[in-house]
Amino acid sequence: MKAFARIIWVLGCLLGAGMASASPITAELSTDRVEISTGFTGASVLVFGATQNPLGGDPPEDLIVVATGPTQGVVVRRKINVLGIWLNGPSTRFPEVPGFYALAGTRRVWEILPEEERRQYRLGFDNLRLRSEGTRNPAFRAALLELKQADGRWQEYAAPVSRAGERLFSARIAFPDTVQTGDYQIEVLLVREGRVIARQELSLRVERVGTAADIASLARGQPLLYGVLCIVLAALAGWLGSVLFRRN
Amino acid sequence: MQVYLPIAEMSVDALLLLGIGFGVGWLSGLFGVGGGFLLTPLLMLIGIPSAVAVASGANQTLGASVSGLIAQWRRGNVDWRMGLTLFAGGLLGSALGVQIFALLKRWGQVDVAVSLFYVVILGIVGALMVRESVTALLRRRRGTAPKRKLHEHTWLHGLPFKLRFRDSRLYISVIPPLVIGFGIGMLSAIMGVGGGFMLVPAMIYILGMPTAIVIGTSLFQVVFVSANVTLLQAWQVGSVDIVLTMLLLVGGVAGAQFGAAMGTKLRGEETRALLGLLVLSVAIGLAWNLLQTPSRAFTISPIS
Repeated sequence: MKAFARIIWVLGCLLGAGMASASPITAELSTDRVEISTGFTGASVLVFGATQNPLGGDPPEDLIVVATGPTQGVVVRRKINVLGIWLNGPSTRFPEVPGFYALAGTRRVWEILPEEERRQYRLGFDNLRLRSEGTRNPAFRAALLELKQADGRWQEYAAPVSRAGERLFSARIAFPDTVQTGDYQIEVLLVREGRVIARQELSLRVERVGTAADIASLARGQPLLYGVLCIVLAALAGWLGSVLFRRN
Repeated sequence: MQVYLPIAEMSVDALLLLGIGFGVGWLSGLFGVGGGFLLTPLLMLIGIPSAVAVASGANQTLGASVSGLIAQWRRGNVDWRMGLTLFAGGLLGSALGVQIFALLKRWGQVDVAVSLFYVVILGIVGALMVRESVTALLRRRRGTAPKRKLHEHTWLHGLPFKLRFRDSRLYISVIPPLVIGFGIGMLSAIMGVGGGFMLVPAMIYILGMPTAIVIGTSLFQVVFVSANVTLLQAWQVGSVDIVLTMLLLVGGVAGAQFGAAMGTKLRGEETRALLGLLVLSVAIGLAWNLLQTPSRAFTISPIS
């Protein structure tokens, strides 16, 4: 409810500001933190704002929203059959890929922007820079795209940028429960006549909170102590449980 | 009710985990085994990463076996000297096993290797159990009692470093228990099991220990080896998920009490035949997964 009130308030300000100021685009996020607590099942963040000129006027203006997460290294392996058993065979390493990537737009980017602009702003899976080491085979890149999309961490036009009235717009970014912690960049681009004429960068932090955060940081920071704690807790739980559930 | 697992970094239905814990606990109470060999494959089946499934499985086995060990120890059914000898081997074995596990994880072969270990070990143990119990059932029907010598002398008794195990009424070399402890410790680290289902037959048939003392002594080994595996997995692989362990334990401890109450109504041979069939079916199910053409030709994993 608080988030909703905040949206209404910010929207009001934006609408006023959008019409008065010279900035062609103003955008805001429904929240600047995504908190992973013990009950976390994924989260959804709203990007919303207003443009100075009416969208779809003449010449038409379009909006693109792109969210990128912290980079990570991944290995893609192909399964091979050895004596009837499926093993992990040849592999390709991609040392720097975005852990999260979501693209949304009022139209598809290839309809409104030429190739060099799309490449400069890394818009669309085709324009992600995915440096690879190991087996040089385009099938591995294709597999990376497919698998990342399958678990919801890379999305292309999964949700639209929708308009309300002439100047207001919003887009929803969905984070799956497997989302990484770290800083996320969200870019809002305004496009007219095949060029990006304005951009605004927003940032979002995904972090663990509460018990989940304490457990994860203890396990990383003091693994030996964490191991001892796991032993003690499991032994205690086993002993206590047998006392409680004893059936005689 | 979804719950977020901080080490597995995913959310799972808590009721599903409680249910799995209860079911496995019920079977383990019924058959008097730890149930790790069922638990770890089930966890992998619902999508828990295999490294986390193995490490948390070992942690759960520890909790599930503690109360059994206390009960057996009160009745004086633990041969401490034999237990410590087995554990000395188990300590080395599990340390080596965790190293092998870490290496497999780096090569990206953990899933396949863990499945392969399961298929081979469970296949052999399950087949032996079924064969042994079916022979026993047939013999009882024909009414002929098996002729077994009280104490057989084999080449094992010729080995050096003999030690007297008073509670087990044995005077044997320390080498066989050390080797058995080592082997089972290693498998326990790689498969996330306590190893009771392998240890009990090994103690009866290879070492020739009296049955009364076998369960308590094997629980001693299982508790301490799985504690060691938990510690090493948490320390060197970082894959013990305490939230997962606790949910499984709550279901498991409750289930074990119901299973144990029902187990007293079944006859020994029948119980062993059923357990053997259960072990065999897990092995066949995992073998099927290995042989089947995978639905996706590629896998993806983070660089650690």
